[in-house]
Amino acid sequence: MGSYLPLFLLFVLAAAFALFSALLGPLVGPRRYNRAKLEAYECGIEPSPQPIVGGGRVPVAYYLTAMLFILFDIEMVFLYPFAVSADALGFFGLVEIVLFISTLGFAYAYVWRRGGLDWN
Amino acid sequence: MITLAQDVQNTMSTGESIAFWVLGPLALFGALGMIFARNAVHSALFLVLTMLSLGVTYMVQQAPFLGFVQIIVYTGAVMMLFLFVLMLVGKDSSDSVVEVLRGQRLAATILGVGLAALIVTAIARSLTEVTPVGLQGVEANGGHGNVENLGRSIFTDWLFAFELTSALLITAAVGAMVLGFVDRHTRGRKTQRELVEMRFRGEHDRPSPLPGPGVFATSTSVATPALLPDGSVAPESLSRLIDSVGAEDLDEEREAITGSAHGAEARALNPSTREGESS
Amino acid sequence: MTRAELLADDPLWLILIKVVVVLLIGPLLTVFMIVWERKAIGRLQQRPGPNRVGPGGYFQSIADAIKLPFKEQIIPATADRKVYFLAPMIAVTPALLAFSVMPIGPQVSIFGEQTVLQLVDLPVGVLVVLACASVGVYGIVLAGWSSGSPYPLLGGLRSAAQVISYEIAMGLSIVGVVLYAQSLSTGDIVEAQQNGWFFYLLPFSFVIYLISMVGETNRAPFDLPEAESELVGGFHTEYSSMKFALFFLAEYTNMIVVSAFATTLFLGGWMAPWPISLIGDNYFNSGWWPILWFFGKMFVLLFCFIWLRATLPRFRYDQFMKIGWKVLVPLNLVWIVLIAGLRAIRGESDVTTGQILTYGGIVILVIIGLSFAFDRGRVIEDDDQVPITGGGYPVPPLDLEIPKAPKRKAVRGRNRRRPAAVGAGTDAEKESNDGDL
Repeated sequence: MGSYLPLFLLFVLAAAFALFSALLGPLVGPRRYNRAKLEAYECGIEPSPQPIVGGGRVPVAYYLTAMLFILFDIEMVFLYPFAVSADALGFFGLVEIVLFISTLGFAYAYVWRRGGLDWN
Repeated sequence: MITLAQDVQNTMSTGESIAFWVLGPLALFGALGMIFARNAVHSALFLVLTMLSLGVTYMVQQAPFLGFVQIIVYTGAVMMLFLFVLMLVGKDSSDSVVEVLRGQRLAATILGVGLAALIVTAIARSLTEVTPVGLQGVEANGGHGNVENLGRSIFTDWLFAFELTSALLITAAVGAMVLGFVDRHTRGRKTQRELVEMRFRGEHDRPSPLPGPGVFATSTSVATPALLPDGSVAPESLSRLIDSVGAEDLDEEREAITGSAHGAEARALNPSTREGESS
Repeated sequence: MTRAELLADDPLWLILIKVVVVLLIGPLLTVFMIVWERKAIGRLQQRPGPNRVGPGGYFQSIADAIKLPFKEQIIPATADRKVYFLAPMIAVTPALLAFSVMPIGPQVSIFGEQTVLQLVDLPVGVLVVLACASVGVYGIVLAGWSSGSPYPLLGGLRSAAQVISYEIAMGLSIVGVVLYAQSLSTGDIVEAQQNGWFFYLLPFSFVIYLISMVGETNRAPFDLPEAESELVGGFHTEYSSMKFALFFLAEYTNMIVVSAFATTLFLGGWMAPWPISLIGDNYFNSGWWPILWFFGKMFVLLFCFIWLRATLPRFRYDQFMKIGWKVLVPLNLVWIVLIAGLRAIRGESDVTTGQILTYGGIVILVIIGLSFAFDRGRVIEDDDQVPITGGGYPVPPLDLEIPKAPKRKAVRGRNRRRPAAVGAGTDAEKESNDGDL
């Protein structure tokens, strides 16, 4: 509990610094209204009404990447306690972790073969 | 998880209780905000708040590994949710009142009540029957420190559950692939190479891309059409969206290209007066 | 006393001093990094770089920092104002937080108080950095989304996919270090490198970490979220004034954090480098000296960032994702299994490293031999393939000789004709005006 105190203090100060900076701009900066300034920037052309990305939707590849990310994130998170206690666990732990990695390896290979990792 | 067990209550410090009374309402606020926010992205953000509060609660409860893992994994998970929202409903997303799946309210109620019952039972059991050991100390599980104790525990006592996790993850990956992924070939999209080859076979209008607008040093507007080597306007460079510059406005540029006009001012491109590019 | 005990013993005033110092490291180094980067890239591109403000132009970014708040802040009408306001803060705060776990030095005495040069030494210090990185992405994604404009949205999405992909590679490359150090605490990891820095004990992990740290911080050649030639400014296109500055601060602080982290994990942290470590019974490894080594190593890595930006062209997005998912991740997993296996074998039975290397070498040789035996040459060329060049379209001849670049001195001061091979045509006279090839 006590060991988090510096971290908490740093967080408060960092957040205060960020808030101060974010508020500084509108406080001291000039304000000159111009309707054209408030439009989204599209290289000087009048903003086109349709969203650019496939009708406003995002390609599915991003979603797949995020899904794979979670998969490997969880794998990573399990690998840390394994790595820390690997010496105590010995061969038994090694077999376990190889099993775990290869099980996920199958999922990975499946996604790869189906083309889920290809971007175009 | 929230330590209100009788055995531990007397060891709870003031700092801990302050943290709990700050973080608890914050987590609850996030959860309620997630349900009541009109905008799906705001919902996802409220969920992040809840997850972060829970993570910090774990840290305060002497489970640093769990706390940080909560932040790492769940921020990633919510990020996925975020993308999922963007993918399904687009950028300008708001609540849809049309019910698409029939009977989903009923199913959701039943499953929700079931989940609540499960959680309540688990917590009730942990409050009454389980004696907390703590994973912080040296004596807890033979290792030194929280992480090593966790490691020993996961890879010996909870081996089966651990390996089962990998099965769950496989299901998730395969499910995402089957439900979300459409193969490029079935969608009829071609790779860059295939497109280039088609172009050169003559299956498209022209092998090269359309000429860009005539943005020269003399004109900063994309409305300027490109000029062909003989000084005439390249018709393909005219945009459908923008009104092009009138032909007579380009006379000067034409002269510059054919070489009949005087060149640009010599100082304009002198390298010694050029400033460093900003990063 | 151990590091954690020393730190727990700190009085409040010392904690406050440390907190302020750690908080200032990010912004101060950012101000320095920006001008250093501009000067260094200027030199690499044969131009002076900023040279107006202060001695040698080195006060340029201070002038910029003062200028930015006095610029008008423009929020597009299509923006989601709350999230738009929140996004730069979410980007900056975790970046500033991550430096807290970096061990900058060993035990010293500050005003008579024994302590170590580190803010906190958590048992899960490594995870703190990763957690800060994963929260920091939100700033970028939300900035892209809330701007209500197409280029930022694309930039934000790209960034999300990119950072999460490279976070996996980064996290997995750390597993090797954790395996060798048997701890997740950054202080312990540095102390575990007493007998050998991890960058040569774990070369694969080190290389993968270096690659993924560039990808993680959205820097060139992986700066796709703000690819200027494709997405204008990427996720911060619609940001101006101080909010824009915050994104800049976040980017550079992240660079500083990953460099410091690389120093801690692989380059021996605050320990003196080899020839110096022999002097006077490792005298330079005690007291305040280690700060010099720590920041020295960090600046070497930071210079690599600048160097990369000046040298390499930007990757294409599909190539970039391919490297992350199809090369770095599987290589990393194989490497982890390999070193875990080696460690387990060495722990269980008394096999020497030499034996392991011998047998491992034999196995690798056999695998290489088998791969040659099964390799039946390249795939036969497709008859239907279309020649991409030629075919009636004007292409430069293959034996084209590129004229030698003339010396710069010769170019300066007078108008010079270009070599005829290149400058043929009516525009030769006009082009000779710019006097630079």
